[in-house]
Amino acid sequence: MDIVIIGNGAAGMNAALDVRKRHPDWSITLISEESDHFFSRTALMWIHSGQLSHADTEPLERDVYARLNFRRVRARATGLDTTAKKVLLAGGLEPVPYDRLLVACGSRPRPTPFWSGYGELAGVGHFVTHQDLAWYEKEVHGGPSLAGGPPNAEAHLAATTEDSPYQFRPVAAEKRGRLAKEVAVIGGGLIGIEAVEVAHAAGLHPHFLIREEWFWPMALSKAESTWIAARMAEHGVQVHLEHEIEGLNGADGLVTGVKTNRGDIPADCVVIAIGVVPNTEWLGDAVERDKFGGIVVDEGLRTSAEGVFAAGDCASVRWFNGVQRPEQLWYTARDQGKLAACALMGDAVTYKRGSFYNSAKLFDIEWTQAGLVGFDLEDQEETYLEEQGAVRSTIRVVHRRGEVIGFNLLGRRYDHTVLIRWINERRSPDWVLEHLHEASFDTEFVPALSIAQGGR
Amino acid sequence: MYAQGQDGLMNTYRSPWRNRTPRTYALSATIIGFYCLLYFTDVLEPVAQAVKLQNKWYLYGALYCVFMTIGGIYMLRTHGNSRYHKLRITVNILVQIVLGFTLPFVMPFFGGKEFYWSYFWPLKYDYFFPDTLWGLPWYMALYTLLGSLVLTPVLALAFGKRWYCSWVCGCGALANTFGDPWRHMTSSSTASWRFEKYSIHAVLLFILGLTGIMLVDGFGGKQIGWFHELAGQTKWVYGFFVGSVLSGVIGTGVYPVLGPRIWCRNFCPMAAILGITQKAGRFRIAVKPDMCISCGNCTTYCEMGIDVRAYAQQNESFTRASCVGCGMCAHVCPRGVLKLENGALELNTDKAASGQLSIDF
Repeated sequence: MDIVIIGNGAAGMNAALDVRKRHPDWSITLISEESDHFFSRTALMWIHSGQLSHADTEPLERDVYARLNFRRVRARATGLDTTAKKVLLAGGLEPVPYDRLLVACGSRPRPTPFWSGYGELAGVGHFVTHQDLAWYEKEVHGGPSLAGGPPNAEAHLAATTEDSPYQFRPVAAEKRGRLAKEVAVIGGGLIGIEAVEVAHAAGLHPHFLIREEWFWPMALSKAESTWIAARMAEHGVQVHLEHEIEGLNGADGLVTGVKTNRGDIPADCVVIAIGVVPNTEWLGDAVERDKFGGIVVDEGLRTSAEGVFAAGDCASVRWFNGVQRPEQLWYTARDQGKLAACALMGDAVTYKRGSFYNSAKLFDIEWTQAGLVGFDLEDQEETYLEEQGAVRSTIRVVHRRGEVIGFNLLGRRYDHTVLIRWINERRSPDWVLEHLHEASFDTEFVPALSIAQGGR
Repeated sequence: MYAQGQDGLMNTYRSPWRNRTPRTYALSATIIGFYCLLYFTDVLEPVAQAVKLQNKWYLYGALYCVFMTIGGIYMLRTHGNSRYHKLRITVNILVQIVLGFTLPFVMPFFGGKEFYWSYFWPLKYDYFFPDTLWGLPWYMALYTLLGSLVLTPVLALAFGKRWYCSWVCGCGALANTFGDPWRHMTSSSTASWRFEKYSIHAVLLFILGLTGIMLVDGFGGKQIGWFHELAGQTKWVYGFFVGSVLSGVIGTGVYPVLGPRIWCRNFCPMAAILGITQKAGRFRIAVKPDMCISCGNCTTYCEMGIDVRAYAQQNESFTRASCVGCGMCAHVCPRGVLKLENGALELNTDKAASGQLSIDF
């Protein structure tokens, strides 16, 4: 049996590991354009600052491919021949035949509506891939940390295409002979916040350009966003809200600023972080894709093509609320990868998405979300509280007809499993506020949650 | 204001003082040289007298406190927004200055005997040797017996080995202050874990054997000439290789290139006993399920080389014998996935002792 997996990330690697556990003798091939080793993409920001090395971000030891007999191909997949059951590769490489195929090729940066052509201006890039990281490190620090870059960083260049998201971007700092001083980050999502944070960690005062009235409206309310923006401003970040981007300025092939509806912002390095989309154009019509570009899969993670499955960021699955769209999260990629392994081995499987939850850290502010927040449902009400004491935190409880449906919590750590249990138990807003400390996951000696009476 | 979580990004791998560079190798060589001079020569005696200290060991004690305090300030500046670290490092420094330096220093002046209240058998191994015990005032002898045989295991059952290794012990205190800049140098490879398993238990067996021999020697074995000679030689071998070379010269000397807990992780017999006790106790690292993003901060900054991430990825709360409960994994976790806690009393079974459990099959 020839198993081929396109993608070396959380979904692809977890699938490969689980198939190998049951079938020591099956041939397993992992095709990856980006990297020799499975790594945690969510850790790019720490590599940039120097907090982690590349090896630190790899959950498995580097000999895993040799030890578990995974064949590894460092090349760009350019298409599928679903009739002959072959994966086509760039660079004139021999197509890879498969009996069963898992497409787990993840996301790529969202195409930029206000600008095109990376060749035109140096100093413009994203913060999604290893290659983006290498570019952004060169702009801000002059190169990787003392721990070095990833091994065989350029191995894919012999087998890639011009439009690949894994191309290295032209570095303005090299052409200019000076590191970036004014970084501008476009886009107020999590990647944008990370790009801002690493620039700040390098001693810069980045511009943070956001189209909306407040940043990350998908996850935060205006009050919460303002609360965090105040912390960012304390750190010297220049937050520009309601700035519509119209284009980029440049001179002599180097970026010099960002054109907005409210005037120009000077910049010698621009990170475009307006989101990610499924990395699937290369598939063409080989499998059915939805309007987001996600590969449509059924509950068994089967695509429209025989013997082809999809998992992770690139797969469009059915959400708990019935909508079909990709879920671009680490833990869903891992879970889908493990389920895809069963599907590849012929098991009947059903992917069932539970309640939504997520967490992150925005600068030094802990964030936990659980349930339905930001869905703006009919009859939805919210209770918002701010804790002002030894610890500063905010609490937003979303409820509907007397029952809690979601939580958005900043400044403390919470166990989301408890929050989700309360949602399933249909608790009232008053009850959860009274018991909220029971969901605490704060470290030891952190003062207990105290909400002033009448603070609502 | 924020009482947990790393405040700001670290630039660890961008600092030439915190990577394997010529200057950290030179620093390592300097520390090794210092310990060789201290242990095996008397060149530090005149230095001690010049600064009006009784002997080189008091000079060493004073330097120990100075480096610990400087390192403690560095540590708290780097990670100090956590209450756990603030309390822990403060206690560490106070214990060392008061119990490890001042008290032993002043006690002889009041007619007492030099005695280290913060050390127990088997780390302070000679405290159990009859010759030492008989020479102590009764309350010190009682303290050392109760401290080693009752207090240590009871506290380890209740709070894990951290009560000692991360709050009281001088070796641990130096590692977590002066050694903190290099905690990421600790290897988390499977090979390093295999080595640790054998090395630490070999030293434990050695000290158990030596203590047995010394007890026999003290209770009459002395009369037999060859036995007494054997006891003396065994004691010298342990004192030289374990007491001096492994705990001092190597243990501290390799901080800048192999991480600060080489002694604690691989050789300390006290840590071995505490670790076994901890496995049966309440302490554990709780894992919040399905929130880990595999970034690797916990594993990287674990000074004991535990692959914390592997447990977090498996949604598995765990107790590892080697964990000293320094709290750094929970501190650096960007998703608040980890939490040190003294849970309900239950026997912990270690399903995945290997450093790389997700591929351990």
